[in-house]
Amino acid sequence: MTGPQCVLVVEADILVRQPLAEYLRECGFRVAEAVNAAEARALLEAGKLPIDLVLADAAADADAVFGFAQWMRRAQPGVDVVLAGNPLRAAEQAGEICNDGPALVKPYDHRLVLEHIKRLLARRR
Amino acid sequence: MLPAVRLEQITTAPSVLLVEDEVVVRALLAEELRGAGMQVTEAASADEAWAYLQAGGVADLLFSDVRMPGSMDGLALMRLVRRAFPAVKIVMTSGNIGPFDVGQFDGFLPKPFAFSKAVLIAAHLLGVEPPETP
Repeated sequence: MTGPQCVLVVEADILVRQPLAEYLRECGFRVAEAVNAAEARALLEAGKLPIDLVLADAAADADAVFGFAQWMRRAQPGVDVVLAGNPLRAAEQAGEICNDGPALVKPYDHRLVLEHIKRLLARRR
Repeated sequence: MLPAVRLEQITTAPSVLLVEDEVVVRALLAEELRGAGMQVTEAASADEAWAYLQAGGVADLLFSDVRMPGSMDGLALMRLVRRAFPAVKIVMTSGNIGPFDVGQFDGFLPKPFAFSKAVLIAAHLLGVEPPETP
């Protein structure tokens, strides 16, 4: 038996992270939270949560998040990555390292985030 | 200035504001508390937790580490919460006993602690039926 799919939300601002995480939980996902790329990597390396997809804000610390996404590609190739933030800045880099291009912009539209996550995770089934 | 946001409080489940800078501990403890029927907001620092409360975030119980990065530690946060939100129950945790009076908290857990014990304390303070132990 499989449980709900697990999304890791990486977002520095609690006032953005908490509402999005709660919305995704209400939609049936198991949601883990990290405030930055270092925390996200620590969570993934600990291997205690079966994370299926990472949604990371690339706006606050783009270099760290892109570095994290590149590490993900090498170390956790089975985990989908979605980057969000300023699409103009992120476009070139993110297009190469995330699963579906830099399609999410901030401020988040929760329903668009949900659709995006569902579309990506549906490919895994 | 804080942005205008709608902080999610969708369910009527009792809410825990969990403040812990070790992400693995925070994430796993949050899962345990949610599994026991509580709504959990995760904060990585006392500053983040205070920003959440100042923005209108809801908490019935503050569960906080004492040592914390940022402009204030867990004790400073506890004092702010006691003044501004006196109904909020407070459980503190630390690897060191003191120099503080644990009697000022509603609960204290020395680190390391079993998550099941943390859940039992939170459930007791919030009047939640504790989960059955296997």
